[in-house]
Amino acid sequence: MKVLALAAACALAAPAHAQFNLRDLNVNRLVDTVKNVGKATREINQEEEVAIGRDVAAHLVGAAPLMPNARVQRYVNNVGRWLASQTERPDLPWQFGVLEAPQVNAFAVPGGTVFITRGLLEKMGSEAELAGVLGHEIAHVLRKHHLKAIQKGALASLSGDAAGAALTNVNSDARKKLVGFGTEMYSRGLDKGDELEADRLGVVIAARAGYDAYGLPSVLQTLQGMNAADSALALMFKTHPAPGERLDALGKRMQPTLDAYADQAQLQSRFIAETKASR
Amino acid sequence: MKLLLALLLSPLLAWAEPAMTIRAAELKKQPAVDAETLVELPENTAVDAAERKGGWVRVKARGTEGWIKMLSLRYGNAGVAKKGDSGISQVFNVARTGSSGTQVTTGVRGLDENQLANAQPNPNELAKLEKFATDEKGAAGFAAKGKLTATALDYPK
Repeated sequence: MKVLALAAACALAAPAHAQFNLRDLNVNRLVDTVKNVGKATREINQEEEVAIGRDVAAHLVGAAPLMPNARVQRYVNNVGRWLASQTERPDLPWQFGVLEAPQVNAFAVPGGTVFITRGLLEKMGSEAELAGVLGHEIAHVLRKHHLKAIQKGALASLSGDAAGAALTNVNSDARKKLVGFGTEMYSRGLDKGDELEADRLGVVIAARAGYDAYGLPSVLQTLQGMNAADSALALMFKTHPAPGERLDALGKRMQPTLDAYADQAQLQSRFIAETKASR
Repeated sequence: MKLLLALLLSPLLAWAEPAMTIRAAELKKQPAVDAETLVELPENTAVDAAERKGGWVRVKARGTEGWIKMLSLRYGNAGVAKKGDSGISQVFNVARTGSSGTQVTTGVRGLDENQLANAQPNPNELAKLEKFATDEKGAAGFAAKGKLTATALDYPK
């Protein structure tokens, strides 16, 4: 087994033309490589997670700026932070932003950053609906869905050395590649299973925080009722299961929870007052 | 005000949006499982859907008004529904802005695959993002103002 691991590390470390040429093998370099592969495959700690997320978030606000309205931004932060406080990771540096984009979408970034587009915000009619969507994104952060995908991508596309460096050295070229990959991931999407899990957890998180549990299903129904050919939906529909499938999955797994917490707060008027500027 | 009253009292669900049943469903007199069943609706019945209450939506179907389970409905009109054109959202938009809710998106390229692929880091926007963040205590005060109380609830298995 050890030999196999060494051979694998060697294959990663050696330049293509010299693969498996054991005569040229530098034992010190091999040991370093094994260490670095270890670095890249081990669990990323919270500090690294937050740092990677910060780099990815900087790119996302580079793609679309924040909506220039402090009241809306603070409101979404309050709702999001209150939701995050009801989870197993209440101490992450949670921050929430509304991106100035007409497209309908939302993004979870490792380490506690969540974005929602103005296009999605204006399709909503209550704070419970906002809570459902933010709960879904918070669940992605809690379960490290994007972080794991970024790490997997780093291992697949970088050598063991570089993957290790990308995680630990914020100024390395490999880091740049990693963050670029992390940003593009929002064009490719996660596994369907991750999305459906985030739906289930998002419903629970919203219910814990005192909101009508039907907020997320309600937004999904709104999206389902929109014209699927609408270009504002293109990226979201490409990267997520169809709303009908998500509603079906929620109905099958979450009906008792949904109904038990259906009569909690919707806070329509607060939502309308606080988000007026986005409409 | 008169208009609002008229809307609220209108038996015709003037601000309804079209929807279809996606499975056979009972039309109930009240939004509750144990309420009287007015009529059994088969799959693919066209309905006019109005407001939601919990997991129930008030609808008019085959001339009868009642409540139907929200997850038994699919919104839209056989795929021809237009974006944001639904009656309900227009009423909401009017209530919110006093205008038609027209979006002004001039000069905004938005966020699609191209923008993501070509994104460069923007430290100024990142600093703004951090500035707007609130802490646990601030959020708890905000929740209290909305009379929100936290409940313990496990994740599904």
